[in-house]
Amino acid sequence: MAIQLMQGNTAIGYGAIAAGCRFFAGYPITPSTEVAELMARELPKLGGKFIQMEDEIASMAAIIGASIGGLKSMTATSGPGFSLMQENIGYACMTEVPCVIVNVQRLGPSTGGPTSASQGDMLQARWGTHGDHQVIALCPVSVRQAFDLTVAAFNLSEKFRTPVLLMADEIIGHMREPVELPAFSTIQQVERVVKETPGEYIPYRNAPGDVPPMANFGTGYRYHVTGLYHDPLGFPTARLDEIDPWIERINRKFDDHLDEIIMVDEDKMEGARIALVSYGASARSARHALKVARRQGVRISMVTLLTVWPFPETVIERLADEVDCIIVPEMNLGQVALEVERIAGRKKVTRVNRANGEMVTPQMILNAIEGK
Amino acid sequence: MLPETHTLNETDQEINPIPAEDWFESSETLQKLRKNKKFPTIWCSGCGIGIVMGALIRAIDHLGLDSDNVALVSGIGCTARMPVYMDFNTLHTTHGRALAFATGLKIARPDLHVIAIMGDGDATAIGGNHFIHAARRNIGITTIIVNNSIYGMTGGQYSPATPHAARATTAPYGNVEYPMPISELAITAGATYVARSTVYHAMELDKYIQDAIRKDGFSLVEAVSYCHTTYGRLNKLGTAADMLGAIKENSISRAAFDKLSPEEKALNTKVIRGVLHNIDTRIEYTRAYGNLIESLQHGGGK
Amino acid sequence: METVEIEKTGLKSAPEAKKGARGQVFIYGKWCKGCHICVTFCPTGVLEMDASGDHPFVAHAEKCTACHFCDTHCPDLAIVVKRIKD
Repeated sequence: MAIQLMQGNTAIGYGAIAAGCRFFAGYPITPSTEVAELMARELPKLGGKFIQMEDEIASMAAIIGASIGGLKSMTATSGPGFSLMQENIGYACMTEVPCVIVNVQRLGPSTGGPTSASQGDMLQARWGTHGDHQVIALCPVSVRQAFDLTVAAFNLSEKFRTPVLLMADEIIGHMREPVELPAFSTIQQVERVVKETPGEYIPYRNAPGDVPPMANFGTGYRYHVTGLYHDPLGFPTARLDEIDPWIERINRKFDDHLDEIIMVDEDKMEGARIALVSYGASARSARHALKVARRQGVRISMVTLLTVWPFPETVIERLADEVDCIIVPEMNLGQVALEVERIAGRKKVTRVNRANGEMVTPQMILNAIEGK
Repeated sequence: MLPETHTLNETDQEINPIPAEDWFESSETLQKLRKNKKFPTIWCSGCGIGIVMGALIRAIDHLGLDSDNVALVSGIGCTARMPVYMDFNTLHTTHGRALAFATGLKIARPDLHVIAIMGDGDATAIGGNHFIHAARRNIGITTIIVNNSIYGMTGGQYSPATPHAARATTAPYGNVEYPMPISELAITAGATYVARSTVYHAMELDKYIQDAIRKDGFSLVEAVSYCHTTYGRLNKLGTAADMLGAIKENSISRAAFDKLSPEEKALNTKVIRGVLHNIDTRIEYTRAYGNLIESLQHGGGK
Repeated sequence: METVEIEKTGLKSAPEAKKGARGQVFIYGKWCKGCHICVTFCPTGVLEMDASGDHPFVAHAEKCTACHFCDTHCPDLAIVVKRIKD
């Protein structure tokens, strides 16, 4: 495609289409509505389906239903809608149905500031739905990355049979940058492949890689899907000898494959004793502060988290060994910082927070750097 | 193969006990059940939900549907436990949300027969909004609501279908609220086929379910049933057989109702059975969206 | 008197001139939960509860008219009624 000035939300929509998304169900909510509007325009031209559901709960349900029916599917929302979607996100985790949920984060809590930015849903992304579960959450830093990480979100959701959260924010969602998107035909898509015959198919069996192949409904494989704990056939169970192995497999599914899920950008400087760890729009301020600090002669490294969940523990462990101080700027009162503190030790971590709808500024970060 | 006889003799001994596999083979309709699922079913002895399941598999059998093309979607509750027993594509979802999941599935695969199976609480309380909008869209989902006027699974709390003054565990002094008319709500919201019957009139249920599946649009079959375990016990209505008989006494066919005088109609408290609504003037949702796709892809629309 | 054969079972029954079993009732004890619905509603009294009171049995096979009330109302799908071919 030609270079164009593109909005982050537009890039998310195009990323979905490029990744093979052919179903979108959503509900209008600032600052994510543009994603729905683009999908409403573009999907039917491609034979895809768009529907505006009656609320976010129904939107999340519909994308799971469509995914089981064989269409790669997505929804987009912001804080209040994200809260509504939690129950069904948990359902997708439990039933291992691939789908992508975009949260263009805005200032909360509650109605908060619909047009203001925030990164206040990061812990909710990890733990918003009840019960022990895992999710994958990705945070784009730029418009181009919004495209790339949306593609990655779809591929990861198919590969690991899990919902994937694209945790953007109002800054990334609404800003415009010049981008040159790759031709969609060059984008690699992960597909569902079932090799067993219907008689042999066991939808939730222990499989190599811990991800059982997913058969779509209506393709000859008649099986049961339920949010109750279930045995490998998908039937409800209360037996510990069926629940325990499921819990183990679900966690192994992620824990044994972190190298395929964790994405970070590391910009390390030799001899650096200070590092910045950031994500999303805050990483833009951090990058600016980094440049200014280095120009001033400060030896400083930076790690940008593209994957926030599962949390890149090994990356932060390594970093904690290398530096004396880790500064975590984020547009909340310290959510990802809790993870960094857990791994590096509280004494090593300095938070730079802003939770009023405004960006953490480079100056705020420079002030924190100066103090070290 | 059925043996000469395998009924129980008077001393409660099975004469020729047969394995489950043979019982499944004993009739065409029983073959629609999942042979790898444990029976008997989870429902209480005498529960009307089992009667509805029988009507459903008979209907599917009579229509000659290909099992691979049938999808059952349910929410949470006793009624929602139905799909797992049947050998189709079955989806047991979250409370109240069956129609929303079913909407996504039907849009992805409009060629599938998507049947949503819900209880009265699941469909009209927590699921009320999805019920209204699925009907409004006239999306081709066949909806079966088993209305036993109570939340049975959780022990007998009142639902939007519980009669005024009836007792329930959360209405210990009698229900202060009034029930919502389920079929009428569906008609007002836009459903194009609505029929109601009872678990006493099981053969009628078969027929309406067949009609509903064949209908190209949002179709509802309200199956009036009973929960003798909770509602029946709390309101002293007797055994399952007693409540089944009462359902018969407390229902009237639409044809008979139509013949009543205006005064009698106004005083009627019996459940009206029949096809309550059946129109062809609205296009089914997936068909309408399909036309849109067609026009954009071939009509050169902007 | 004519005898009729019921398909599959080979059971022979000798009907009356105009009446006699028009159907045969099969009950699957393993699925039956003993709700009494079939016994209560059978219009001709084919079924009775057994001595334990837990399960039905075919007490008067010759009275079956193949009305199918029992097998369409058994909540456990534990009854099948086969129409006797004539």
